[in-house]
This record gives sequence, C-alpha cells and structure tokens, in this order.
Amino acid sequence: MIRLEGVTRRYGDELAVDDLSLEVAEGEVCVLIGPSGCGKTTTLRMINRLIEPSGGSIMVNGRNVMSMRPEELRRGLGYVIQSIGLFPHLSVERNIGVVPHLLGWDKQRMAERARELLHLVGLDPEVYLGKYPRQLSGGEAQRVGVARALAADPPVLLMDEPFGAVDPLNRERLQAEFARIQRELHKTVLFVTHDIDEAIRLADKVAIMRDGRLQQFASPEEVLNHPANKFVHDFVGADRALKRLVRVRVEDVMRSPAIVQEGSEELAFRVAAGRRRFVYVIDAAGKLVGWMDTADLEPDMDPAEALTRVDPAQASVRSDASLRDALSRMLGLGFRAIAVTDDKCRLVGEVTFAAVEEAMTEGDEHITNIAEEDAG
Amino acid sequence: MSDHSLQTRFDRVALVGAIVTLAGATALPFVELRPNRLVPGTVHSLADAGVWMFATWGLVALALLSAVAPSAKARSAASSASAYGLVAVLAWALGEAASTLLVGQTSVARVSIGSGAWVILLGAAVIGFAGGEERKRYLLRRLGPPVLVLAAVVSAFVWGGLDDISLAQEFEVRAESFWQLLAGHLALAGAGVALGAVFGVPLGLWATRDRKVRGVVLGVTGIIQTVPSLALLGLLILPLSALGNAVPFLRDLGVRGIGAAPGLVALTMYALLPIVRNTYVGLAEVDPAVVDAGRGMGMSSRQLLMRVELPLALPLIMEGLRTASVLLIGITTLTVFAGARNLGILIFEGLGQFAPDLILLGALPVIVLAVVVDVALSALAKRLTPEGVRE
Repeated sequence: MIRLEGVTRRYGDELAVDDLSLEVAEGEVCVLIGPSGCGKTTTLRMINRLIEPSGGSIMVNGRNVMSMRPEELRRGLGYVIQSIGLFPHLSVERNIGVVPHLLGWDKQRMAERARELLHLVGLDPEVYLGKYPRQLSGGEAQRVGVARALAADPPVLLMDEPFGAVDPLNRERLQAEFARIQRELHKTVLFVTHDIDEAIRLADKVAIMRDGRLQQFASPEEVLNHPANKFVHDFVGADRALKRLVRVRVEDVMRSPAIVQEGSEELAFRVAAGRRRFVYVIDAAGKLVGWMDTADLEPDMDPAEALTRVDPAQASVRSDASLRDALSRMLGLGFRAIAVTDDKCRLVGEVTFAAVEEAMTEGDEHITNIAEEDAG
Repeated sequence: MSDHSLQTRFDRVALVGAIVTLAGATALPFVELRPNRLVPGTVHSLADAGVWMFATWGLVALALLSAVAPSAKARSAASSASAYGLVAVLAWALGEAASTLLVGQTSVARVSIGSGAWVILLGAAVIGFAGGEERKRYLLRRLGPPVLVLAAVVSAFVWGGLDDISLAQEFEVRAESFWQLLAGHLALAGAGVALGAVFGVPLGLWATRDRKVRGVVLGVTGIIQTVPSLALLGLLILPLSALGNAVPFLRDLGVRGIGAAPGLVALTMYALLPIVRNTYVGLAEVDPAVVDAGRGMGMSSRQLLMRVELPLALPLIMEGLRTASVLLIGITTLTVFAGARNLGILIFEGLGQFAPDLILLGALPVIVLAVVVDVALSALAKRLTPEGVRE
C-alpha cells in the first residue's frame, strides 16, 4: 500500500508537486497521468526517494519512507523506467539478478528466479538468459526490465512510462502482458504515463494531475463518466465513449450464440424459426468453422450451401479482448455481430453491435451536462 | 566492375613496399666505413654484402610477385615471407658487409648502418603490412615468424659478423650500463604512469561529480600539457630542492632538485591529462538511464561506481593509460637534463660527441619500447572490455 499525505516538492519558488494526497490500495494499479511537467514523475521518484520531498509524508506498506535508508527502501520497490536502463555489460540473467545480488541471495536461487521471471514475461530462458542488452529488441529489453523489477518479488512496483519508448503495436502487446502479469501477481503499482488510453486500459484508479495538483482521483469509469472539471473533461478527450469500451471486456457483455455442429446444418432451419438470424457452425472439438445467415435459407436447398467458412483468427475476438477491439473488428469486417472464442479458437459467445452501443452510451447524460455548464 | 577487378588483380601496398625496398637497395648507401667512430668515412653499397645481396634481390622479387598473386591467401603468404625474410637477410647482410670491410682496418675503424639499410627495413615493414590483413587464429602461426626472424638476427650477431657493426660495438662498450639505463627508463616511465593513474583516475571521477571541479581539473591538466618539457623540469628543480632541504625525511626519500624526483613529478603531470580526460569522458558517457536504474534499484553510490560506472568506463580509462604510457616513454629521455639516468643519456651523449651510432643505441630501444607497450596495453584493454559492450 502506498499513501501520500500533503506531499509537496519545491524547486526554488516553484511547486513541482503541491499538497498531493492519494492512496494506492494493496494489489491495485494506480495510474498517474497528466501533461508533461505536471509533476507525475516527480511524485513517483519521491516514493523511492530519488527525489526528496519538501513536505508531507509518504508511507509504503505502513512505513514512512523517510525513516528508511534510501538503498534499503529502493530494494523493496520494483523500479521500471522508460529508457529501461539495462546494464549493458551484464547478461540478461545478471541484469535480472541485480537486486537479489544486493540482497545477498545465493547463486542457485538467483538462477532459478531469472528463469522463472523470463517465463513470466514471455521470453524463452534458454534463448535469452545469456544474451546481452544490445542483442535485444526494444520490446524484449522492456520485458527484461519488467522481469528485473520483479526479481526480488517486491510488493510495490514503480513504473515511469515503461512502455513509452516502444512502437504502438508492441506497446499494446506489452500492456496486455502487463495486465495478465498483474492479474497473476497482484502487485501494488504506481504507473506514470501521459497516454490516456494506456491509463484507461490498465488502471484500477486514475490520478490526473496538472501543475503539481491532483485534479481527479477515481476509477477510469468514473473519470470517463463524471470528469471532475473542465481540465479532466478536455484531457480525457472527445472520444470518451470509445475509451469507455476499452474498460469493458468482451466476456462481460457477450451472449450465448446459436450453434449447430458441422454436418447437422439442417438444424439451422429450426433455429431460424426462433429469433436468431445468424447461426454459428462448430466442429466436434467446439472450434469455430463458420456461420450461416438463416435469411439465405430456402426450404428445398442443402443447408450446407448457406455455410460461410471463416478463419477463426480473423473473424472472431478473444473473450479477454476489450469491447473496443470487438468494435473495430466488427467495423473492419462489416458485421453487426462477432463470434467470441477462447485461446483454442473454441466458440464461447457472441457480441452484438447493440451491446457495444449500450456500453458506449452509459453515463453520457452527465457528460453532456458538464459540457453545457462549461459552455455557459 | 573493371575498377574492382583491377583492385583485386594487384596489391598496391605490397607494390609500394617493393619499390621502397628496391630504392633502398640500389640508390642509397648500405653501410659506411669510418676510420673511427666520430669522423665521416666512405659509403658502400649492398654489393659488399656478398651472397646476401642476391638474397635481398630474391626477396624483393617475391614481394613484387606477391603484389600480382592470383589469390588473397597466396598474396598474404608471399608478402609475409618476403617481409620477414628481408629483416633476417638484412641482419646477415649487414654482418657480412661489416666483417668484409673491416678486414685490414685498425681496431678503431667502424662500419655504420647506412641510410639504404634503414630504407630496406622500412620497405620490409610496408610489405609486411600488406600481408598482415589476414588474421591468424593460432598463437603458433602468429608468433612463429617473428620468433624465427629474431633467431636469425641473434644468430647474425653470433656467427654472421653483425657484432662488427658500429651500433653493436657501441652496445658492447656500454653493455652493463645499457641494461641499467633501460631499467631506469622503464621504472621512471612506469612510475610516472602509475602515479598519473593514482591521481588522475580519482580526479577524473571527481570531475564527473562536480561541475566546478570539472572546469578546473580539465583546464589545469590541459595547460600542463602545453608547458614544454624542459621548461617544466627547470621549474620543478627549485621548489623540489627547497622542499628536500626543508624536510630532511623527504630528502632521504629522494626528493631533491636534481635526480629522478623532478623527472618523476614532471612525468606524472604529463600523464594526468590523458588519464583524467579519458576517465572523465568514460564515466560521463555512461548512459544516465543506467545510472538512474541502478540507483532506483537500491545500489549505493559506491556499488554503482564499482559495479556499473567503472566497468563501463574501463575501456576508455585503459586507452588513457596507453596514451600516457607511450607519451611518457618518449618524454622520459628528457629527464636526464634534471639528472635522471635512463636511455636519454645515450642519446644526449651521442649528440654531444656527434656519434650517430650512440644516438641510435639510445633512440632505437625507446622506439621499440613505445611500440611494445602500445601493442601490449591495447591487447590488455581489449581483454578488460566487458563482453556485452565489446565491438
């Protein structure tokens, strides 16, 4: 748990951080966000005392950071930065072992831990343990950076724009992997970014800062639906409806689809008598084979002719994907609904455009009000 | 396309080396016969080297052949063989010429190495350079030819009459003091580099930690470098003798106005600039993100320095030590003016007596020493570079 109370940092006459109070509950991801110079990185660096606060108190897991030796404090806090900062003269294994080494672990324990962590961040230990940082791509290096921060299993992670320097494609992948790791490890995370999409995707709580002051500290939904003031409203951006979709997972709004097994397509006639127009076809293992539009069915035709075969990887979304991914896939394919599959391409549900629409409009009334107030 | 094929058809470097060797062997005096070590005498050509003349011609022809050899491998082998062979043959040719010419002369007559012989040596070096591009993997193949050449030169001394050459006779006269002077030279230059490192590395480190210190340290060491060596020695004599007189304990340690002390102080000061500058640059060039990550993970300043900053700066620091060493081996010769005893004595005595061979006896070892130290420290620097940051 991290608790900041009335924290201030002064540079001469300027207040970089002004009377900041916030609390990150255990196991939660708090994303600090704001325009450059808003004091978010200063705040993060005060927690591990790379910058000393000018006032206020910072507690980490119930201990005042000012009462601890800085080195001891930092060894208990995982630290990931945008420029990664892997030690170029050390192998991946020894980079991961830096903090365990400082803590005096024995060699075998460090070696085991390095393997375990590379697995966790999705890198093959056989390939990567002996590599040097200059032999890694940006994405690989940042994975190693995350593994290094997790090495001594610190309860708290401080991440300063960790994915800011990788390309957009890799960034999304790293974000998804971070979310997966976090679901597994339940660290208390303070995460600094200037990317609102990243904040909404990863945060349990968002803290929006401006000129050293906290503007709003709430869940992403709350920030999207009820921005505290005009600054937050503008910062979140005009496409907040779309952003909200990032927060909703497909499995939370999907419905059970109409299914027939391959070879028994004639059953589709019966389905058509119900209210479903589209029928999914699966194989014996439950894998998605294709779909049938029952509107195409003529009473005397072979129903198998109405089957459109599809590649499940292209024409479906994963159940842990966001509604925004589902929407963009639907728009791309021109469908009004899309199949939902699990990691083995087995059909588990269906998301309709109507469900996306519903999720999008939730909470919009309030936002219209704020916009009108600001205009007036 | 045609340009490329032309380049592969003959090796220009080997060709230049062969031409230089040819010029040295034909147009310039090979040896000089003098009635005694100080007066000029008569010059003689390679023809006085007897059968070794033909061997030289043969090796020049081999170098020419190597320039037009069809494959890179054959080219490299031929030019290497030619270069090493030329050095060995040169030693024997000089010996032969010396013993031939000295027949019937008085005991004070001398045979000096002529400019032609030096040019042949230069030509051999150029030819060897042409053949040296192919890296040899095995120690035996790398060290074999130089060892053979060394054996040829030594045997030329023992059996080939090379000991009749004036340079060798100058050596024989001073054999005992020569080794002392060489040792004195190495000790003084080595102590200068060591002290330069003892003061220079911490100063370079300090310069990275404090902006004001950086200006002063880099400025002052830079200024020292511009003070002429002799002037610096002269400037040091007075304060050092005053210090030695005032503190008898220091005088007993050797702190005097005359002797090794002013030389050592001056050499240390000259060693500072390359060492301080390279230490500073090496440490300053460590990626700030790496330092931030190290501190953020809980390394103390000391741990950060020892485990991260110094290992990463080490290649550049070593480079500074190498530069300082080569520089000091040369400058050490000048410290004889303040009373130090080293190879510089031979050079300046030779200059005073106008005895060119004596000058050579001092200067040649200094050159060899500088080259050997340069190569050795380069190899050491390479070995000390951490694997992850090697080129």
